[in-house]
Amino acid sequence: MRQQYARRSQALAYALAFVALAVVVQMVRIQNSPEAAIFHERASNYAYELHTFYPDRGEIYDRNGHLLAGNKTVYEIGVDLGIAKDANSIASAVSAELGLDYNTMINAIQNPGVNISYVVIADYVDAQSAIKLQNLKKTLQGQAPEGTLGGLTGLEFKSHPQRSYPENSLASNILGFVSREGRGYFGVEEKYDTLLAGNPVQVLLPTDPNKAFEIPRVPDGTTLILTINRDLQAAAEQTLDESLSHYGARNGTIVVMNPTNGEILAMAVTPRMDLNQFWNYGSVYNNASEFNSAISMPYEPGSVLKILTMAAALDSGTVTPATTYLDTGSILVGGATIQNWDQQPWGLQDMTGCLQHSLNVCLAMVSTEMGASTFYSYMNNFGLGHLTGIDLAGEAAGRLKIPGDADWYPVDLGTNAFGQGVAVTPIQLLMASSSIANHGRTVTPHVLSAMVRDGRQYNVPAQYAGTPISEQTANTLTNMLAVSLESEGSLALVPGYRIAGKTGTAQIPVNGFYDTTQTNASFIGWGPVDDPQFMIYVWLERPSASIWGSETAAPVFAEIAEKAVILLNIPPDYIRQQLAKK
Amino acid sequence: MNIPNVNHFIHAYKVAPWRIQRQWIGSTLLAVVVLAMVATLYLDVTAKAAIAGREIQDLNAGILASQQVSADLQTELATLTSVSVMEQRALELGFRPMVPEEAQYLIVPGYAAPKPEILAAVPLPQMSASTFPPEYSESLLDWIDEKIAISARGIR
Repeated sequence: MRQQYARRSQALAYALAFVALAVVVQMVRIQNSPEAAIFHERASNYAYELHTFYPDRGEIYDRNGHLLAGNKTVYEIGVDLGIAKDANSIASAVSAELGLDYNTMINAIQNPGVNISYVVIADYVDAQSAIKLQNLKKTLQGQAPEGTLGGLTGLEFKSHPQRSYPENSLASNILGFVSREGRGYFGVEEKYDTLLAGNPVQVLLPTDPNKAFEIPRVPDGTTLILTINRDLQAAAEQTLDESLSHYGARNGTIVVMNPTNGEILAMAVTPRMDLNQFWNYGSVYNNASEFNSAISMPYEPGSVLKILTMAAALDSGTVTPATTYLDTGSILVGGATIQNWDQQPWGLQDMTGCLQHSLNVCLAMVSTEMGASTFYSYMNNFGLGHLTGIDLAGEAAGRLKIPGDADWYPVDLGTNAFGQGVAVTPIQLLMASSSIANHGRTVTPHVLSAMVRDGRQYNVPAQYAGTPISEQTANTLTNMLAVSLESEGSLALVPGYRIAGKTGTAQIPVNGFYDTTQTNASFIGWGPVDDPQFMIYVWLERPSASIWGSETAAPVFAEIAEKAVILLNIPPDYIRQQLAKK
Repeated sequence: MNIPNVNHFIHAYKVAPWRIQRQWIGSTLLAVVVLAMVATLYLDVTAKAAIAGREIQDLNAGILASQQVSADLQTELATLTSVSVMEQRALELGFRPMVPEEAQYLIVPGYAAPKPEILAAVPLPQMSASTFPPEYSESLLDWIDEKIAISARGIR
């Protein structure tokens, strides 16, 4: 009996062992079958998914650390159709909170299309509204009967960053804007788009939640610190807006630059736009050049260009400050007669008098005495007709016709001397004139002061674009300009500060002829003369209160200069001189 | 007890069938226990790794959320201190813009004029390589595979 029991047990053990072996063999066979390889390959396709990590866009600050462009969280609101149960509740809640059309939403939820499991019903929703909806969803879930979900189940919220401009329209022409696709347009946003956007990182992440993985470190985009002084920018914009109203000008530009290093301290233009509503771009501007007229809208500047003509003449030895000229009120150049602004003779004048009274005839004589070759060589060295290289998108080069060009005529040598027949941008004239204020050295204008990347700050050094005139010429001309302003009692003078500068009034060509009633009024000036710390360019387009730059642009210069000396902490000349003596 | 009896008893003990069976059973049980211990250890390590992975995901999500909150607050602060808001507040408090003639300049020994903003002075360490040691991400089988591969390379 016992042996029989033992045999049965043994047989059972063998049977079980055989079954176990068969299972193992079958497992091995299945694992190594051709089908297994196919399944394994299919599974591996879903084992990892490619994920792109986008860095936050770099911020933009002014020179004193005020945020000009940052990021804020907004929400995409959508409906997960797989779990949404109550389309009416969702559509009602969202339409009430976001002010969207109820019928459009209910249609989007109920008729999403084939194979659609998620519907986006709103994007770029501000955090406040999104949080209200989230709270409402939670409340309804809490109040739902046992075993059921709330009415807003399926309403999903996905946060993502959006560009934000705390100062709204302030410095809009400098900053530019970022579209919803994340691309920068105009200004700094476009010029430094690659730096600001940073580098997205793509990695394969395991779909198995039990597999640990490391999320890659994605450095934020580069943060930029601009040379702009926010308070001075605001003051410039306020002054410009008031000036347009006061003088009846159509548009205007005010640029403040440090002439010793090319830092742009303020750049105000009209029109401007609220960058937080960049989609209104089309209704604010007629064309792209209007976005920042300071760099992208060339125009005939008129008499402000005389300072460059005089600089060339002094530097080439054609004239000295004491050179005299008998002004008869007209001069023949290239077969055409050139007259003074008042069409009157001004008699015997020295070169300071020519600048003080802004005599076209005198400057035309100077340029013809200099000769076309010398004159255009200097204008070329001053940068006319070339891009300044300012780090803002959309700069225009202007136009300087030179002998040999099909549209250059001998009379242009005379008219170019007083700023007609040549197209320049305000930033070009600032750059060219910086050589006069900066002892002969031309600075390259720029708005970037420093970059912060990976926790390191890289300061941008000043760049110089050559030395078109000697230091002696620059100092002599600066003194002549200061004397001419003081002698005529210019409205550009700033009490307590010695200023050098020049007005400009350029008639605007209409249908091929200059219209004497429509002008571009300009003024360029800098100070304090013995230690220049600001250079200001004012351009008023078509002022109706007066066509003359001396009566419109000059007082605007004085107004912004008075604000600049306060905001830049520049003491009056006598205090600085007392300090220098100590 | 004499010696031949003892030897006979030992021989009988050694050849007893039940003893061989017990040896088999004991060996099998030992193998089962060892396997169970290994499996338990493997499960424990895997579970811990999974929990750690989840915690890392949560922490990363927390960092992201904190960064978003920080950016939001920074933007909100900038909005609250924007030029237009500050000017409005100043006017409401009775201030007015000054003119140059009202400015008084004093010599303050040791005063340094404000310089452009310095947002970052201390460089951060560069972190380009993975900071996870493999022990935190590989399974027991991965570890065995790795060791076998290393041995194979060593043999070649």
